[in-house]
Amino acid sequence: MRKRHPVPGLLIPVSMETDMPAVQETIDRVRKIDVDQYKYGFETLIEMDVAPKGLNEDIIRLISTKKNEPQWMLDWRLKAFERWKTMESPDWARLDYPPIDFQDIHYYAAPKSMSGPASLDEVDPEILRTYEKLGIPLKEQEILAGVRKADEPSEFDDNSDTPPAEGSYSGRVAVDAVFDSVSVATTFKKELQKAGVIFMPISEAIREHPELVQKYLGSVVPISDNFFATMNSAVFTDGSFVYVPKGVRCPMELSTYFRINERNTGQFERTLIIADEGSYVSYLEGCTAPQRDENQLHAAVVELVALGDAEIKYSTVQNWYPGDKDGKGGIYNFVTKRGDCRGANSRISWTQVETGSAITWKYPSCILRGDNSRGEFYSIAVSNGRQQIDSGTKMIHLGKNTSSRIISKGISAGNSSNTYRGQVSAHRKASNARNFTQCDSLLIGEECGAHTVPYIESKNATAQFEHEATTSKISEDQLFYCMQRGIPEEEAVALIVNGFVKDVIQQLPMEFAVEAQKLIGISLEGSVG
Amino acid sequence: MSVVTELKTRTPAETQLLQLAEARGENENARRPAIEALRRDGLPTRKVEAWHYTDLRALVGRRIKDDAAVASLKAGDDAILEPLLANSVVICLDDPVSAHLPDGVMATSSSSVADWQASPNHLDRSIDTIRALSAAFGASSAKIAVSSKTSVDTPIELRPAAGSDSHFYAQVSVGEGASATFVERLEGDGSPAPSTGVSTLTIADRANVLWIVDQEKGAEASHLGQLNVTIGADAVFRLFVLNAGGGLVRYEVHAETVGEGADVQIRGANLLKDGQHVDVTTTLNHRVPNTTATETFRNVVTGGHGVFQGMIKVAKGAQKTDAKMACNSLLLSDEGDFSAKPELEIFADDVQCGHGATAGEIDADHLFYLMSRGIPEATARALLVKAFLGEVVEELEDEAIVEALEARIDTWLDTHA
Repeated sequence: MRKRHPVPGLLIPVSMETDMPAVQETIDRVRKIDVDQYKYGFETLIEMDVAPKGLNEDIIRLISTKKNEPQWMLDWRLKAFERWKTMESPDWARLDYPPIDFQDIHYYAAPKSMSGPASLDEVDPEILRTYEKLGIPLKEQEILAGVRKADEPSEFDDNSDTPPAEGSYSGRVAVDAVFDSVSVATTFKKELQKAGVIFMPISEAIREHPELVQKYLGSVVPISDNFFATMNSAVFTDGSFVYVPKGVRCPMELSTYFRINERNTGQFERTLIIADEGSYVSYLEGCTAPQRDENQLHAAVVELVALGDAEIKYSTVQNWYPGDKDGKGGIYNFVTKRGDCRGANSRISWTQVETGSAITWKYPSCILRGDNSRGEFYSIAVSNGRQQIDSGTKMIHLGKNTSSRIISKGISAGNSSNTYRGQVSAHRKASNARNFTQCDSLLIGEECGAHTVPYIESKNATAQFEHEATTSKISEDQLFYCMQRGIPEEEAVALIVNGFVKDVIQQLPMEFAVEAQKLIGISLEGSVG
Repeated sequence: MSVVTELKTRTPAETQLLQLAEARGENENARRPAIEALRRDGLPTRKVEAWHYTDLRALVGRRIKDDAAVASLKAGDDAILEPLLANSVVICLDDPVSAHLPDGVMATSSSSVADWQASPNHLDRSIDTIRALSAAFGASSAKIAVSSKTSVDTPIELRPAAGSDSHFYAQVSVGEGASATFVERLEGDGSPAPSTGVSTLTIADRANVLWIVDQEKGAEASHLGQLNVTIGADAVFRLFVLNAGGGLVRYEVHAETVGEGADVQIRGANLLKDGQHVDVTTTLNHRVPNTTATETFRNVVTGGHGVFQGMIKVAKGAQKTDAKMACNSLLLSDEGDFSAKPELEIFADDVQCGHGATAGEIDADHLFYLMSRGIPEATARALLVKAFLGEVVEELEDEAIVEALEARIDTWLDTHA
């Protein structure tokens, strides 16, 4: 069944990767002129292990075997697959794309296993360049490239065995890199272990912590939830697993870099984060993907479980290839993200910066089950070119005194379409539920569309809901003011837009906030003038 | 009749409805295609986005359960004593010619049925259900025209035919520079099988129209209403919708600005009690540049299910549109619920559009303020509810009209709140 990818060189790099500086310069210049400003448009040429195209029981068994999964996991996948066969792709979103041939996709791709190079010098330079572009520190690069295991000392270590002083953790980020579908390695494992935090690829967790996975997997997003989530349940290849034990404040931000790399491989991530009673964890997810022609499907599922008094903060920066100026290529992103505030006083916060993907279908939601629980959703969605975004959230108030807050900022430019779709509902027993929603849209240019579709459902008299939405353009006065002071129009627009989204940017962890601001600028390039 | 019995997928209620439509004798040729279309598509369920909160198939099904229910459809007591506004002239829509109309107003009867195939694109179905039902039942059809440059001071009250299966189709046009006030009066016991009322209102350039919908049908009545308005350049369209009755009610307003400078002002109050399902669905379609619209609905819910769906659409090129929409709901009991879907769909960049929606109970601070001044709680609550509704009514400004509507609202509040 399994097929090795022929020769890496046979992959035609659509990217601008080259060693000749002169050529590079020319290409850079061309790229600046083009609308097509995709900064992370490169393709890493490393050997991959690819399953044949198509989705059937054999493929699911193959994935399960490759992952050395126990029987219960395989059964779970097959049950999902049975269900999936009876389902139809949803069509209610304001998205227009040709039907997807789900049998024309590779459902499994893994980098060939690392035999452990002695130092970074021996690592495939292509991979290193990828890391460099992603801004991954050397020390982490070592681990990611398999030079050393996470618990081995590094030549870049500062040789201090003493745990860092309180507060000095703030700048640290543990990375679980999902290189295409397989988590290549995990960093900072040791430190997390000390705190008792489990942070590992979900494929490992299935083997090492089956009791936790069995208890929580599918408990927030059941296998029959929706078309894409069900498909994910059947074929997910990897993802992150986080368990924060009772009363533990996770000592660092957990982070995953997602990259879709192999041509025509769907990326089916499954992430499960459990914050046990009184714990806290902040998780960052950042995505970049190589530039390419064929549409790629991404159908991830993220499940968050917050038990009593626990808090989960989940931040995403999504910057996959949006397609070229004619709408060719680009990632199809159909994601199911849901958090369950299961215990009293629990709290889940979603923050997302969506600048990439040709199609975005994504509604990070909170089920506010526990009394006094709180859900938050902060979103920036930038669409340009031919991008289509249909994104929003659901806040389902079930418990008493639950509260939620939604701040959504949509920016559409070019020929794009940007829809906010959100639901806020209070069930009969959700007394004193509170919601505040603000969704603002900014339009740049005459060819784009901005839409707002909120569903507000109150079944409890003591529930208090407030919803506000506005749509407008960039103020001429502000633009004039900036330009009059010598700021070029494009920069002025980026500046004003960054002011428009400030409320959301502030919610991002430091590491992301800076990148996100740059991303928004890049995404809007070519949208004015 | 025989065709109907072949249906397998239709619910009994839908079959009954079609039988009722078949049983109407007149105007068979015009009605037939609409009946067939309904037979094909059935009534919308919540899977149809435009009917997301009003599952018509289920709701009608609950009301028309069997043959017996249809057979016993009550004729009802449809006698209305006084017009809503004093000095009104009343046009009975099944007999428009007999009214004594003011100068410049013409009323004639017509044999046309509602244009059910010209489905506005916000309804994601092949047919427009309310218009199709209207056409299938061959509504009594009237044409009313106000001549150009005529200022009609007498309010014109439009009344559907009395009886259990009342359906009307009114085509109203107001000429250039003219002004007029219309009252769409929906009263009477009604019947569990839905009655329909479809109106088209064409407002020419610089004309000024106030349209009031006073819906106070009986608790068993089902009514599906629709008002389609086009507004010309520099024309003003003001609408007030009062829903203070009915068992199953859906009132749709589809307004379209076709001339620059058009102004739309929509206000409404929905009063709900136990056992009711009341749905107000509006579309404001800005097709040309420089038009303005404001829309405010206030809902008081003591029971039942309330729905507001409001859509502001701005077409490509309709720059400088200024549109605002608000929907505020006061939930006075856990027995009732309210769902709102205020939507924006915008394809022009130089616009100011917004909507707001709130749901909640009476503000505790306001209550405290009044009670601390010695006002008993019940009175204080009543005052606050009245003020909440009064805000939208008072925007009509005309004293007589404000008083008339407030009287209707007070009657309802005294009985139900």
